[in-house]
Amino acid sequence: MRKVEPSRLRAFLASVRLSLLLFLADPQWVIPATIAPVIFGFAAFELYQGSGATLVLYAILGAGMMSMWGQTLYGAGWATGQDRELGTLEPTLSTPTSYLWVVFGRIVVNAVTGLVGGLVVFAVVSFAYPHPLPLHAPVEFVLLFAFVLVTLASVGLVLSAVYVYTRYAGFINNFGEFGFYIITGSMFPVVLLPFWTSPIALLLPPTWALDALRYASLPGYAGFGWGFTGDILGAVGTMLVYLAAAGSVYHRVEQHVLTVGNLQEY
Amino acid sequence: MVDAAISVRQLTRVYSSRKGFLFNEVTRTEALRGVDLEIAPGELFGLLGPNGAGKTTLAKILSTLLLPSSGSARVLGLDVVRDAPRLRSRIGLVLGGERGLYYRVSGRENLRYFADLYGIPRAERESRITEMLERVGLGAAGDQRVEEYSRGMKQKLHLARGLLHQPELLFLDEPTIGLDPKSARETRKFVRALLSEGVTIFLTTHYMFEAEELCQRIAVLSKGKIVATDSVAGLRQLVGGDRTFEIDGYGFEDAELARLKALAGVSRVVTEEFGPRLRITLRVQSPELELDRVARALPGHPELEVRERRTALEDIYLDLVEEEPA
Ligand SMILES: Nc1ncnc2c1ncn2[C@@H]1O[C@H](COP(=O)(O)OP(=O)(O)OP(=O)(O)O)[C@@H](O)[C@H]1O
Ligand SMILES: [Mg+2]
Repeated sequence: MRKVEPSRLRAFLASVRLSLLLFLADPQWVIPATIAPVIFGFAAFELYQGSGATLVLYAILGAGMMSMWGQTLYGAGWATGQDRELGTLEPTLSTPTSYLWVVFGRIVVNAVTGLVGGLVVFAVVSFAYPHPLPLHAPVEFVLLFAFVLVTLASVGLVLSAVYVYTRYAGFINNFGEFGFYIITGSMFPVVLLPFWTSPIALLLPPTWALDALRYASLPGYAGFGWGFTGDILGAVGTMLVYLAAAGSVYHRVEQHVLTVGNLQEY
Repeated sequence: MVDAAISVRQLTRVYSSRKGFLFNEVTRTEALRGVDLEIAPGELFGLLGPNGAGKTTLAKILSTLLLPSSGSARVLGLDVVRDAPRLRSRIGLVLGGERGLYYRVSGRENLRYFADLYGIPRAERESRITEMLERVGLGAAGDQRVEEYSRGMKQKLHLARGLLHQPELLFLDEPTIGLDPKSARETRKFVRALLSEGVTIFLTTHYMFEAEELCQRIAVLSKGKIVATDSVAGLRQLVGGDRTFEIDGYGFEDAELARLKALAGVSRVVTEEFGPRLRITLRVQSPELELDRVARALPGHPELEVRERRTALEDIYLDLVEEEPA
C-alpha cells in the first residue's frame, strides 16, 4: 500500500504561495494595507504635531498598528471566509493536512503585507514631520515592530478559526476589530482606559508587545508598571498559550463543521 | 476473503437547520434513514436517486466531510470518523459544480496547491499535474485562469484534482451533470478507464442510463433509504415479466384511475401531465390483460390512445423511488 505523508511545511508553503498569487491577482488589499494607514497616520499627525515629537511618534505607532492588525487578522480571516464563499473549504478539508497550516501560511503573508503598511506609515510621516522623531533605538524598534506582528499573527491564527466555524464570522469580526484597536492600546495607551479593560487586554499578546515597543521607542514612556522586560515575558507567555491552543481549536472547529454540515454554506 | 472497500451499517444523518430572526426555528431533515451497503474492491458502484434522496450526504459521510448521526461506515478498512485523517490520503472526492476552485489562478496552480496539501512528492508534482491535465483533456488550458473555464472544463479540473494523489477509491458525485452529451460521454469513458486501472468507484447519478452503462451494481436511494440494491441484470429481472401500457387522453377522473388500478394484473398506475394532455402509465404483471380491456375501462374518452411499450429500467427506477419507503 502506497502511503502519502503530507508535510506541514509543504502545506504551509503552498498556502503562502497561493495567498501571494491571489493577492497579486486581486490587489484590493493594497488600499487597506498602505493608503488607509497613511491617511490615519496623517490625521494623527495633524492632531498631535503641535504636542511634540513623542506624541507624533505615538500617533504613528497607532496608525501602523491599525494597518498591521487589519492585515494580519482581518485579512487572514477574510481569506478564510473566501474559502467558504468559493466552496474551496470542502476540498481543502478533505485533504489529509490540517487546515491550521493553510491559515498559518495566509497569516504570514498578510502579516508581511501588514508590516509593509506599517513601514509605509512610518516613512511617510517621518518624511513629512519637520523634526527628527525621537527614536532612540532604531534597531530595537524594527525588531520589536516585527515582534508585535508575530504576536498579532498568533491571535489571528486562533481567531481565523471563527471563519471556518461559521459563515457569520465577518459580522463577528467587524465588531471585534474596533474593540481590539481600543483594548490592545493601538489607539490609546491602555493605561488611560477604564480599569476593567486592562484584564481583558492582558489576554491579548499584542497588548504586551505594543507596550514593550513603546518603552523602547518613546522617551520617558510610562506604561505597565512591570516595565519592558515584564512586557516581553508577558507577550511571549500569552503568545505561547495562543499557539498551543491553535491545534486544538482547529481540531474542535473541524469536528463542529463536520457535525453541523455547514461547510458549503456562505 | 477480501475486505469490503466500503461497508456501511445502519447509517443515519439528520441535519438541523436554524432559521428566523433569532435562529430559533429549528428544522430537522432526515437525509439518511438507516443505510446498509457493501461495496467490493475494484467495483464501480452506482448510487441512483432523485433530488434530495441523500446521495451527496452519503458520499460526503463516506469521504469524511460530514459526520454521521448514528450507525457506522468503514472505507478501505478505516472508520470514517475515527480514522478520517489517514483515510483522506487514500480516497478522492469529486463534488463537481461551479464552486470549489480558486478562480483567479490557473488550473495548474489549483492542482499545485492541492498536490502540496496531499503531500505528493515534490519531484513528481509537476509531471503528475501535466499528466493529469492531459488525461482529463485540459492539456492546452492548464495555464489559463479558472474564471475563463467553461462549465465542462471546471468539471474536468475537479476530476483532475480528485485523482492527483492517485486514490484507491474515488467518490464521484454526479460527474456528468451539466455536461453536453459529448463531454458526458468522455467522462464516462474516463471513469471506465479508471476502473480498469483498479480504482474502486462510488458514483452518484440521477440518470438511470448512466448507471446502467457504467455500473456493475446499483443501489436506488429514495428519501434516505435504499429501496433496491442489485446488479443491472438483477434489476432487469425485476422488469422481466412486466409489461407497460401507456394511455394518453384528457380529463381523467379519480374514479377512472381507481378503476384502472383495480383491473386484474395492474400493479401500478402513474399519471403525468403534458400540457392539457394526461398520460397514464400502467405496470402490468399479468400476460393476460389486453389493451382493449383497458380501453373499455375508460368509456367516454373518444380521444383515447392506448399502446403497449417495452418496460425500461428507467420505469423500474421510477417505480422504486416513487413508492413510499417503509
Ligand atoms: N447542509 C444541509 N442542511 C440542511 N439540510 C440539508 C443540508 N444538505 C442537505 N440537506 C437535506 O438533506 C436531504 C438530502 O440532500 P442531499 O444533498 O444528500 O440529496 P441528493 O440526493 O444529493 O440530491 P441532489 O440529487 O439534488 O443532489 C435533502 O432534503 C436536503 O434538503
Ligand atoms: Mg447531490
